[in-house]
Amino acid sequence: MSRNVLEKLMHQLCVDRSVKQRFKEDPAGLLARYALTDEERAMVTGFDVAGMQKHGVNPMLTLGFWTENAPNRHPAAYMKALRGAAAADGQVFSAGLKQ
Amino acid sequence: MGKIVGGFLVPHDPVMFVVPDAPAEDVRKRMWGAFDTCAERLAGLNATSVVIIGADHYFNFGTGCLPQYIIGTGDVDGPLDVLPGLKRQIIPTSEKLAGFIADHGHDNGFDWAVARAFTVDHAVAIPDRLIVDPVRASGQSIGTIPVYIAAGVDPYIKMKRAVELGGAIKAAVEAMPDDERVVVIGSGGISHWVGTPEMGKVNEAFDHEIMDYACTGNLAAIQGLSDDYILENGGNGGMEVRQWAVAMGAMPGARGEIIDYAPVREWVTGLGFVQLFA
Repeated sequence: MSRNVLEKLMHQLCVDRSVKQRFKEDPAGLLARYALTDEERAMVTGFDVAGMQKHGVNPMLTLGFWTENAPNRHPAAYMKALRGAAAADGQVFSAGLKQ
Repeated sequence: MGKIVGGFLVPHDPVMFVVPDAPAEDVRKRMWGAFDTCAERLAGLNATSVVIIGADHYFNFGTGCLPQYIIGTGDVDGPLDVLPGLKRQIIPTSEKLAGFIADHGHDNGFDWAVARAFTVDHAVAIPDRLIVDPVRASGQSIGTIPVYIAAGVDPYIKMKRAVELGGAIKAAVEAMPDDERVVVIGSGGISHWVGTPEMGKVNEAFDHEIMDYACTGNLAAIQGLSDDYILENGGNGGMEVRQWAVAMGAMPGARGEIIDYAPVREWVTGLGFVQLFA
């Protein structure tokens, strides 16, 4: 289990356009370059931000990863993924709305 | 000889730019207005340089290099993370003083990392744009010196070291042969939870506790805050009280005055504005 490698990947998926594009087009090929377990790869491809936080990944990275790469980038969708469906109500804003 | 002539402790909330109209009208007018007040008061200080202390948000720096503290000694622009109404631009600098602060630190136990060409993120760009730029527009020439500390990504700079770092900035400014008039701006906080399940929560009690320490110049109290206490009561974003600690450390004995404060859930932050008087 490697929080460090996950954070390296998350950071690149926040700031590096070419890595974001590769993730979109060929996620398996991209993730093969990183020393991640099958469980960790599943967290990334499944946008399991709650799982990654439990794994120790910095929440700023999970938020950035979501808002830069998720199919539905809205902060409310992020909060739903993080808290579970029961917490989806109510407005939550973040800088991710700039998208 | 240089001198620190004043300080400000302010937020750098990017959500203000993303959804400026989200809070009630009176609240948002007050908060934008508080930045204007800071600018007006900065104009009255006749500063030649401002040192803006920000925190990386796992944006400027990645897992390959996580500096405890770093100073921009050369060209500066930003923000790296452009926002609506906050486009990237070149930021005027004070290269001579910035280099002097780094060199003085290296001679006195503070091993600054340096950035020779630095694209800052919103932590420095927001206060520079909202507080310093209006003063420049009025005709004053002010250079910005960006300082980043580890407050968003662990290992966090120790609170004691943050205060000491402020002292190192003060010592360097006062050792500078030129007649620099320097204002320090601690940029961050107060309570906010970034990307966590609690995002949107604000803790007014914690915010007032921190502002009270700032207004009374209580360095011992702010230095004594444990990481566990800050994370529990101020959130992961609350770790940015470190920037306030650096600014306070640069002005030991200074008293402060709250310019304004509001817990703004729509902007996911307790927004506190404090002026420190030299």
